[in-house]
Amino acid sequence: MDSLEQQLNSLFAAYRGAIPEPEASSDFMPRLWGKIEAKRSFVYRLKKMSQLAVATALAVCLLSSILINPFTQRDPQLAGTYVDMLAEAHADETVAATGGVRLDLLDAASQQ
Amino acid sequence: MLVEFEELQRAQSGDDAAFNQVVLAYRKRIMGTIARLIGRPEDVEDVAQEVFLRLYYSLDQLRTPEVFEPWLYRLTVNASYDYLRKQRRRNESRMADLSEQAVMMADAAAGGRENSERKHQLKVKELLDSLLGTLSQEDQILLKLKEVEGLSLKELEKIYRVKENALKVRLFRARQRVLKAFAASQNLKSSDTED
Repeated sequence: MDSLEQQLNSLFAAYRGAIPEPEASSDFMPRLWGKIEAKRSFVYRLKKMSQLAVATALAVCLLSSILINPFTQRDPQLAGTYVDMLAEAHADETVAATGGVRLDLLDAASQQ
Repeated sequence: MLVEFEELQRAQSGDDAAFNQVVLAYRKRIMGTIARLIGRPEDVEDVAQEVFLRLYYSLDQLRTPEVFEPWLYRLTVNASYDYLRKQRRRNESRMADLSEQAVMMADAAAGGRENSERKHQLKVKELLDSLLGTLSQEDQILLKLKEVEGLSLKELEKIYRVKENALKVRLFRARQRVLKAFAASQNLKSSDTED
């Protein structure tokens, strides 16, 4: 097994020698810079597009809030709760109209 | 280090001329490693370009120049692994690959060397490639980095960011599998010669 190990080691060493050291072609650097520039411009375009998308979304939000706002402004007659509206409709039947309840009378009634 | 720290820092800060110098300094070494990892001379340059492209866009993430070389090796290993994975997906014919490789190897090795030496080198390559074929692509790369590239366990630890012991175990298992396949091939060869 040891001899097999040694043979395998020498096979690994021979493998390194069996693969020739590749030489870069003359257009290696221009091609690399071309790729860098292409990616750079792609990233730049993507950044610009995303900025544009964000700006458009903001404008749409602003515009829609301006357009929708008048509709959400309620008629003063409709403003207020249901109880307020009832009170307004039957103003003569309210506590204020009947003069309120006297507390001393209520106390006397409870003592009896 | 093949470049000065200052040069690397200039490249990090976006100096294109400094980056050019870094590429020129490491190109040969990286291309040699890729050639041994992927085993296809015709694609070495493309993978090397991918390594340096990734380097360009991630150089600003490098915190200290001391870890630059393991980091560059990691980019090389990752790009080679991505290439091998894509190759596997393409499901090309292995026989076609071998014949194409043989032609490329013969072309690359040409220039003064004797024909018999070339034949021997091709045999060595084919034998080791077939033995390594019993391993996963990750283990093939790991074993080649250790045995063919001659990287130490400490260097591998920095590249893989994995504890030395875990790497030792993985390397031992991978080597045992290759050894087993080698023993089987030797037995087959001796039985062939007996016949």
